[in-house]
Amino acid sequence: MLTQQIFNGLVMGSVYAVFALGFTLLFGVNHILNMAFGSIFMWGAFAGLYIVKTFDAPFVIALAAGMLAGGLLSLALDFVAFRPLRKRRAPDFASLLSSIGANLVLLTIAQKVSNTTVMRFPFDTFPIVIYDVFGLRMQLLQLTIMAAGLLMVLALGYMLYRTGVGRRIRSVAFSEKTSRLLGINAGVVNAQVFFISGALAGMAGVLIGIAFNSVHFLMGEPFLMQAFVVIILGGLGSMPGALIAGLVMGIVQTLSYAYISSAAAESIAFGVLFALILIRPTGLFAQASSIMRIQRR
Amino acid sequence: MTSFLLAYQSVFDHILIYALLTMSQYIVLRAGTFSVSTPAFAAVGAYTTTILITRNGFSPVLAITAGAALATLMSVVIAHPLSRLRGVFQAVASLALVQVVVTIGLNWESMTRGALGISGIPKVATTGWLLVVTACVIWLLTIMGRFQIGRAMDVVREDETVAVSLGIRVSYYQRLAMILSGMLAGLAGGLYACHSYAITPEEFGFPMLVNVLAMAVLGGRTSVWGALVGAAVLTSLPELFRGFAEYRNIVQGGLLMLVIAYLPNGIVDTLSSLLHDRRVERSVTKAATGAEAS
Repeated sequence: MLTQQIFNGLVMGSVYAVFALGFTLLFGVNHILNMAFGSIFMWGAFAGLYIVKTFDAPFVIALAAGMLAGGLLSLALDFVAFRPLRKRRAPDFASLLSSIGANLVLLTIAQKVSNTTVMRFPFDTFPIVIYDVFGLRMQLLQLTIMAAGLLMVLALGYMLYRTGVGRRIRSVAFSEKTSRLLGINAGVVNAQVFFISGALAGMAGVLIGIAFNSVHFLMGEPFLMQAFVVIILGGLGSMPGALIAGLVMGIVQTLSYAYISSAAAESIAFGVLFALILIRPTGLFAQASSIMRIQRR
Repeated sequence: MTSFLLAYQSVFDHILIYALLTMSQYIVLRAGTFSVSTPAFAAVGAYTTTILITRNGFSPVLAITAGAALATLMSVVIAHPLSRLRGVFQAVASLALVQVVVTIGLNWESMTRGALGISGIPKVATTGWLLVVTACVIWLLTIMGRFQIGRAMDVVREDETVAVSLGIRVSYYQRLAMILSGMLAGLAGGLYACHSYAITPEEFGFPMLVNVLAMAVLGGRTSVWGALVGAAVLTSLPELFRGFAEYRNIVQGGLLMLVIAYLPNGIVDTLSSLLHDRRVERSVTKAATGAEAS
């Protein structure tokens, strides 16, 4: 029973990790806490569902559609909500407020579109196959989710640390001014980062939508709150931190749902977030540069 | 005329209550602190007031005072660790605080009756009382703004490094602002409870946070009047466009984005700086023409 729950937790955790990686990438490069990230996640799920329903598309296409929708939406948000602020060199708080406004708009539109109902994927979107490995019940869907998450993390890692695009992204994250001086087009890099992070959120949306088989306009809000815990725990802007903290969060949450209660699971998440940010705001994997940005002594 | 006033009295009351909440947000923003915990303190104030009145039979004035006191106490406890964080992290931590308070309100059923909320609160916060309280708070905050504490807060907001170099203790003033904010929010929460017949935990959640933030930002962050103007505009706007009630959130969200992008100082601050510029210009030209004449 315990190993089963841990396995389920790992499945959830890999989705958290994908979502948190997107969020923390955006923060690491642009220093934006994007409160509309939950809405991008939700719109990714909407797009995947729409594709499946209208074109009877297979799972992979739905996933791709979700990623594309999330990426484009995030890109659009960059141009509408964040670029004017960056041009003015507004403080970080301004972009936080702007993203709260954008979130409100996106949520309300989604509520209109979905008529405040809970939508479901058609029954045969994903074949129900169950494997029995050493007494563990593993669904094919769960394995696919984990594989997709793992693949995404590996691809992102490869892109960031082994390609030219990744090198440019990392240099802009380190110092936008210096990279501009070195001839890097920071505007393009920012757009790429927005697209990638949005695509990760959209993918997480489709995965969660199909795992619980429910897509509704409020699905992003609790997810964003839990992702906050993951991101703070892992240290803002730290990629390995987000990955590990995401998996831990998935397991802890699944265990507390299974053994305590769902209400308790929620309060535990928020309580942990609050305690964590007060006691150790730099998270478990802090770097010297992020400590300076977070705390004052 | 009287019927017109009666019809809009509840809107007017709402403006006053929200103005108080917005002032609680304004005071932290003025000190360059990005705590958004106003709804949490308002919830504490409102629930303390309500429980003391409905269960323990306290008089409303005493109950509201107790609510404000408890909220102040809580903000004293929270302010210290919060002041150690920078900018956006204060926002995240206080956001978590708001969620924690809402979750406690929803789950501590023996005390708060959970999602059902508590009803049957006597409506003692009449328009007159609200006016008196709001006027007093505005008066106090204006006076405070003119003295050393207000100026120190302005420096901390504009540039922390300069503040430190001038010997201003940044975290001390931020803490002070957070405690004042908690007190005001507790007071506003108590009045809120005594104005509405019933309260539920979810009223003090994220939507209230967004509302109050939008009002503070729209009005302007450096003067008390900004809070009043912001509250007045954003409370009466939905009343004017009642037909578009469904799109209220879109309007509010869009407005927040537009204001941040194109009117970052808010209505009152922009207007007052325009007036100031004109006055300076006029005195400069007057001086110039005076010099020519002589």
